[in-house]
Amino acid sequence: MSFEGLPKGSGNKERTFRESIYLWEVLRGLGVTIGHLVRNILHTDDMPTRQYPEEKHVYSDRFRGRHRLMKREDGAPRCVACQMCSTYCPADCIEIVAAEHPDPAIEKYPASFDIDLLRCVYCGLCEEACPCDAIRLDTGIFEIAADQREKFVVDKEFLLNNETDGTR
Amino acid sequence: MAKVTIDGQEMEFAEGTRLFDACAEARGEALPHFCYHPDLSVAGVCRLCQVEVEGMPKLTIACNTFVRDGMVVHTRNEKVRKAARQILEMHLVNHPVDCPICDQAGECGLQNQYMTYGLYESEVEQADKVNKAKAEVIGPHVILDKERCVLCSRCVRFCEEVTKTGEMGIFNRGDRAEIGVAPGTELANEYSLNTVDICPVGALTSRDFRFQKRVWMLKSTPGVCPGCATGCNVRIDHEAGRIFRLKPRRNDEVNGPWMCDRGRMVYKDVHDEDRLTTPLLRGEAVAWADVEEDLARLLAFGSVGLAVGSARATLEENFLLKRLAERLGAGEMSGGLRDADRGVGDDILQDADRAPNRRGLEILDLAEHDAVTLAGRIGNASGTILLLGGDPAAAPEVAAALQGKDVVFVGTHAGATAALAQVVLPGAAWAETAGVFVNRQGRLQDFPQAIARPDRARETWRILVERLAAAGEDTPPASLRTVRLLLTEAHGLPDLNSLPAVGSVPAAGGAD
Ligand code: SF4
Ligand code: SF4
Ligand code: SF4
Ligand code: SF4
Ligand code: FES
Repeated sequence: MSFEGLPKGSGNKERTFRESIYLWEVLRGLGVTIGHLVRNILHTDDMPTRQYPEEKHVYSDRFRGRHRLMKREDGAPRCVACQMCSTYCPADCIEIVAAEHPDPAIEKYPASFDIDLLRCVYCGLCEEACPCDAIRLDTGIFEIAADQREKFVVDKEFLLNNETDGTR
Repeated sequence: MAKVTIDGQEMEFAEGTRLFDACAEARGEALPHFCYHPDLSVAGVCRLCQVEVEGMPKLTIACNTFVRDGMVVHTRNEKVRKAARQILEMHLVNHPVDCPICDQAGECGLQNQYMTYGLYESEVEQADKVNKAKAEVIGPHVILDKERCVLCSRCVRFCEEVTKTGEMGIFNRGDRAEIGVAPGTELANEYSLNTVDICPVGALTSRDFRFQKRVWMLKSTPGVCPGCATGCNVRIDHEAGRIFRLKPRRNDEVNGPWMCDRGRMVYKDVHDEDRLTTPLLRGEAVAWADVEEDLARLLAFGSVGLAVGSARATLEENFLLKRLAERLGAGEMSGGLRDADRGVGDDILQDADRAPNRRGLEILDLAEHDAVTLAGRIGNASGTILLLGGDPAAAPEVAAALQGKDVVFVGTHAGATAALAQVVLPGAAWAETAGVFVNRQGRLQDFPQAIARPDRARETWRILVERLAAAGEDTPPASLRTVRLLLTEAHGLPDLNSLPAVGSVPAAGGAD
């Protein structure tokens, strides 16, 4: 392969004298930076950088956030372990083990209810599938962090006490 | 012959054909129905199967009408659809519609009919519905929800006509009518779970299967019940390597649409705690490679004294054992313990012989022996005793004779035999391998593998083929197909690779 005869790339453009002494270009760059600094000092409200975590982004009301399991009046889970949500879930991240409830009026309840938050795509289909309004994605919680993968698998107790963060 | 026109299609049927069956054939699908069952008498109580017969003043139920020459029938017109819908609405008046906690959901007649014919907004408030007992345990296997019952009387007819025990009955009248067992009695016949199969709704459900799995998550594989010599054709419902239930698969030559309750529970064996999952060398769990040396010594040419087969092993496994024994120059063979696996039979399905493949041993000319004779033969044999399947040492005489002998055991469960053996090779349980069982009628019934084997267990036929290769067989069969070809050739059997199909697996439900 030969490069001979090929047109020169733009990177090989001859520098002008002003460019070759650099100083002018450095000053021009500094000017842009100082311009932003002055604008941000004069108009702090419009500053694009947010002081997270002191200051949080306000999402639209339709933002879902982490799931929660709803409770009955007595605090027991409203969920009847029908597994509609886990059937419908496109990420296959809900794992429910059903068991016999001592109260024959309830009959069936989730002995365990785990959601793998790392696999969840927050689509909200579980919420839509639920015939009992037992699972909701309305907490608005978006800060989901942990230092181990296992900690992202949240259980029934966690989801039952996953109250909204007060933003709504 | 009767010429009948169904939905504009002219067809011929034998005299005495039920219009219900004729319509099913013409339409390619059954009419909506709850109460009709081809193996029970006709009750005609659900009124769902109504069709229009020209010349008759009103709609008529197809299940209780016979074809007549010149009949013109409509099953899909507006009048018929409207009738089905109204009847369905009536069935749903007091129905709790608690599908989320109902095990039948997904294979429920009511759900299916509603999706086809219903689809209306209910005008009955939940609070106005008549409440009845829920989750009532009515027998060792069955649990009853009276609210969900549509009073089709299938269960009542089953208990009267098939088991002739008559436990179930319909009590009271009108909207208070309810299904139940007579006070102080329970549904305890040995076929009670068939009522769960034929119940079109979730009124009768299985206690064993209760809440274990939603039915749409299950995969089905056809199988043959290993519970007794009858060899009922079954459907194995499993998920992620676990069997959740067995359901009968219709075979009118063998079991019709039924199977016994005991047979439905045999799947528990497969997932037993004491399954052999890894090779054992003098009781120690080891890798397959670690038993090679001892096997080479114990199963060298001329070193095997006696090879013992089993009526619990498949035809192929016993055949390969025999072939291996011959190759190793084993002096003697036995088909195993003649009196093992005996129970009480009945004249419905269950056979007193609780092993699935005793006739298979006959085909292979493997004679069985009673415990004393077998113990004697073990005592006289010089060299390794090679045992296949079952647990022959459960018989004390055999256990005593095996003491101090070199024993190689190819099996599935830990027990007296595995405890005595120098080398234990973990094989596949019945659902974990393909094979052929020969039932009491001499029917060759083949079945495919349904689930994966646990841990280090291997297909038993493969273990035996590996031994054949180690024993110097030039071209040991590489697949089960080849094993079957050899077997077919050696014993003049019909081609085992193309036995009549084990039958299609009906979609979940299969309540006919
Ligand atoms: S939000 Fe979507 S992905 Fe997440 S658990 Fe629900 S259904 Fe599954
Ligand atoms: S769909 Fe609702 S009631 Fe059913 S298992 Fe999921 S959360 Fe529970
Ligand atoms: S019987 Fe059928 S319709 Fe009734 S609750 Fe069960 S699944 Fe639903
Ligand atoms: S319990 Fe089931 S089979 Fe028996 S009458 Fe009721 S619906 Fe029919
Ligand atoms: S199936 Fe004909 S009346 Fe029920």
